[in-house]
Amino acid sequence: MSAHAETDCLNLTLNIWRQEGPHATGSFEVRQLQDISTHMSFLEMLDCVNEDLVSEGREPVSFDHDCREGICGMCSLVINGQVHGPQPETTTCQLHMRHFKDGETITIEPFRAEAFPVVRDLCIDRTALDRIITSGGYISVNTGSPQDANATPIAKPDSDLAMDAAACIGCGGCVAACPNAAAMLFTGAKVSQLALLPQGAPERESRVLSMVETMDAEGFGNCTNEYECMAACPKAIDVSHIARMNREYMRASLVGSSP
Amino acid sequence: MLGWLIRTASSSIGKKALMALTGLLLIGFLVVHLAGNLTFYMDGDGAAFDSYAETLESNPLLPLAEFGLLVLFVTHIVLALRVTKQNRDARKSRYAVRATAGGSTAGSRSMVITGIVLLVFLVVHIMDFRLQNDGTESMAALVREELSAPLGAGLYAVAMLALGLHVSHAFKSAMQTLGCNHPKYTPLIEKVSLGLGIVLGLGFLSFPLVIFFLGGSAAGGQA
Repeated sequence: MSAHAETDCLNLTLNIWRQEGPHATGSFEVRQLQDISTHMSFLEMLDCVNEDLVSEGREPVSFDHDCREGICGMCSLVINGQVHGPQPETTTCQLHMRHFKDGETITIEPFRAEAFPVVRDLCIDRTALDRIITSGGYISVNTGSPQDANATPIAKPDSDLAMDAAACIGCGGCVAACPNAAAMLFTGAKVSQLALLPQGAPERESRVLSMVETMDAEGFGNCTNEYECMAACPKAIDVSHIARMNREYMRASLVGSSP
Repeated sequence: MLGWLIRTASSSIGKKALMALTGLLLIGFLVVHLAGNLTFYMDGDGAAFDSYAETLESNPLLPLAEFGLLVLFVTHIVLALRVTKQNRDARKSRYAVRATAGGSTAGSRSMVITGIVLLVFLVVHIMDFRLQNDGTESMAALVREELSAPLGAGLYAVAMLALGLHVSHAFKSAMQTLGCNHPKYTPLIEKVSLGLGIVLGLGFLSFPLVIFFLGGSAAGGQA
């Protein structure tokens, strides 16, 4: 049993980004960790770090988290240079310590983008994404009794594609992974989802024009089609949604009825 | 009335669409340019190449075509500089550790660097063969003279490797920017992009290599 327990534990060196506030200069704090269970999630490992810090009478490391089951989009972190860590299609909260080696040094940084200012330590302000959504990422419907579901036929392939785009949890990992800090995959997923569905049709043109305008104004970069976003996305959202947004944008600009 | 045009052309997607369009047209130019250059290998003394150059230069519409090329290059380069500046500004604090998640390629990562190399090359190339050429010397002789010097051959070789790398990402990137992404043809576009990079890169690279190492006359190499 004891031999088994030993292999299930890791000793780690952490380089954790510490930053007092949005305008403070940050730096890495080196922490040594002993006997970290491989069954812990990455965030549980950080909980251990914080327990140690609190018992030392120091400020715990601030990091974003909520559901811890990979669906809320609150957790973030760049772990050893990879958004949400080394496992594909996995959020940081669903990443387990068994994917790390004993004695490994792990560098933990916040998502970095001018549009995502650091609030404190590893916490970042992602409300720029909310402002993109409020500028058009919705459908306007009058409330009332629901109509018959069969009154709005949707082809299965379109419904599936729209669902793939709707899988976005809004974590902003695409922005963090993009060499240009662009928000094209995030914005593209919402534009694409609603463009694929009849419910999105009435506001199809104004939506894409407005969302792209907001995206640009928030200071995100331009897409250079490196596809790091898709590779880092915990929901594996495809860059074909960016291409659909590009089509929607040019269509609305060149032949749309909006002025 | 032109508000929509300014808005579209200055948006992130509009800028990239313009870069994609000008880039695709420039790839078209490169294909024609390579085809013309390959006449260099048609005979031993470069007469076919000289006659091709003469035909091209005696065309009264050449200045118009050159103006068109200038517009394409300037648009593409100015937008590239603007886009790159904005992209740098979008992330001022760098990551201490950076690892690819598997999306990018050597071509995609080096677009700015290869672009700058190509810009320097473009200036040198125009000075070498367009401005320096007073019509008295045969074009084939001028090419041989330029590319048999180590500096000339070296610069051209490096620039053509950069060209191949640039184009290998450029074509598929332009298609994606223009919205052409579909399971039916995206795999083909990716192969064509790589193929264009290899063919254009190696095609143009052959000139400095053949002339420098085989001594100047045609592929037959009777130096």
